[in-house]
Amino acid sequence: MTKPTCEDTLVVKKRDLKNDYYSLVLAPFSQAKSIQPGQFVHIRLPSTDIYFRRAFSVASVSPVKEEVEIIFKVFGRGTKILGKLCKGNSLDLLGPLGVPFSFPNKKERAVIVAGGVGFPPLMFLAEKMIEKGHNPKQIEFFYGGRSKAELVELSRLKKMGIKLHLSTDDGSAGTKGLVIGPVEQYLKKHLKEKIKLFGCGPEKMLKAVDELGLKYDIKGQLAIEALMPCGVGICLGCVVPLKAGGFARVCCDGPVFEIGVVNIAC
Amino acid sequence: MPADLKCKIAGVEFANPIMTASGCAGYGEELAQIYPLSNLGALVTKSISLKVRPGHPPPRTVETPGGLLNAIGLANVGIDRFLKEKVPFLEKQKTKVIVNVAGSTIDEYVEVCSRLNDCSCADMIELNISCPNVNEGGIEFGTSPKLTEKTVAAARKVFKRPIIAKLAPNVTSIAEIANAAEQGGADALSIINSVIGTAVDIDSWQPLLTNINGGLTGPAIKPIALAMVSSVYRKCNLPIIGIGGITDYKDVIEYLLYGATAVQVGTALFVDPSAPLKIVKDLKKYLKEKKLKSVTELIGKVRR
Repeated sequence: MTKPTCEDTLVVKKRDLKNDYYSLVLAPFSQAKSIQPGQFVHIRLPSTDIYFRRAFSVASVSPVKEEVEIIFKVFGRGTKILGKLCKGNSLDLLGPLGVPFSFPNKKERAVIVAGGVGFPPLMFLAEKMIEKGHNPKQIEFFYGGRSKAELVELSRLKKMGIKLHLSTDDGSAGTKGLVIGPVEQYLKKHLKEKIKLFGCGPEKMLKAVDELGLKYDIKGQLAIEALMPCGVGICLGCVVPLKAGGFARVCCDGPVFEIGVVNIAC
Repeated sequence: MPADLKCKIAGVEFANPIMTASGCAGYGEELAQIYPLSNLGALVTKSISLKVRPGHPPPRTVETPGGLLNAIGLANVGIDRFLKEKVPFLEKQKTKVIVNVAGSTIDEYVEVCSRLNDCSCADMIELNISCPNVNEGGIEFGTSPKLTEKTVAAARKVFKRPIIAKLAPNVTSIAEIANAAEQGGADALSIINSVIGTAVDIDSWQPLLTNINGGLTGPAIKPIALAMVSSVYRKCNLPIIGIGGITDYKDVIEYLLYGATAVQVGTALFVDPSAPLKIVKDLKKYLKEKKLKSVTELIGKVRR
């Protein structure tokens, strides 16, 4: 695993993805090339009011330009500050941190389940898989949100040539209802194929993906979100209970866990 | 000539006065991935108890203005696994190691201390008689002068190298507890452990920590800790290790001026694991600017 480093970076690009979603590209970060999908960076906010860092999964990297992209939705105090940053502002990054997704082998079909703000690390996963030679048609990307406006970066996902399945709670785009419905239908139809599941999103969705994996005996991984004071494994503040008993640290035993391991609360 | 950062507590010499606070650096493994631990004056381990402790169910932490409320619940591997799994790593580190010890009975403290006496890697032990977020033990020992003296004396009998008592701020007179620790045979004092606090969710009306109460740490508690260090320095003879909200070199200087010989950096490590390196660098610069030869020249020099 790459040693995490702490570096001052600059916002080199900011995009307003609408509906409070933003993309920030930060550079130069010397470890950009070694960041793997599922890993995160811990960001120190340029604010005297907020002491602790905020963890953001990486949405993409440009190794040559030493760039790291994060995508987030303005939700609380921290993201509010990030959303107001402009090109040229500086940000202190600590990373890469956490256990990344393990890539499925090329014969396996990847069923990716993204819920709302959970999509960035999965988009990164799909992108890296294709880069490594995975057939994009073997990537089924289920992306769910409350409404059409909550589904962002759609043209970027479409360009990747993956099979995109959209769903929204209100039916304004794709299938009406929770993302998990179409996922289960798909799994049922393809039970004979070699499939690997990947998920990131709200806890309820993660729990449902975990249950599907166990129900149909499909292996896979889930990226879990937690408030992390340190992000490097020393504070023990971000733990989640394990089904086998005891706790695991989301920051360094995860954030990516195998299906069936974490007792997901919701 | 560069300023001398060395300091000595109970005969143990430290390369610099910057230590990690217990519970804020695990057993050193994670920090060692980021920088060599030889940069630290000492590594203070997570509290070690007789048995494994899984810790409290989450949520365990809440961010507060300038601070962190935590109720980790003394999660640790227990003395057996500590000796087997963590000590081989710690022995290879070129820094002093202070093992923090917690117990729910005096016998438990004694057993852990006695096992550590045979472990040469533990240069000193720090008795946690002040953890605010476990129901049994911890703080009960550190809020009564009698129990403080008794616990320290019991550990003193079985641990032959220096003993530090880590004191709680949640008491009427910390100087009284400090004197009791000295009576019991402590060689130094760590001041302070976290301050009891709590927080509630205004929508669900539920406490934000599963344990309800937690220990407040971070910059928010620095003035409280400083006042306690100052009070104990004037009323007790033992060397003091100052703890509470230290983020940069300026905080360290304040603690030294009020009488601390060394300090521990805790919550700041969560924000910047490399904080001790920056502090050491800036401290050297400060000493040079003030034309001081040794960091020890600052101890207790506040002009009242």
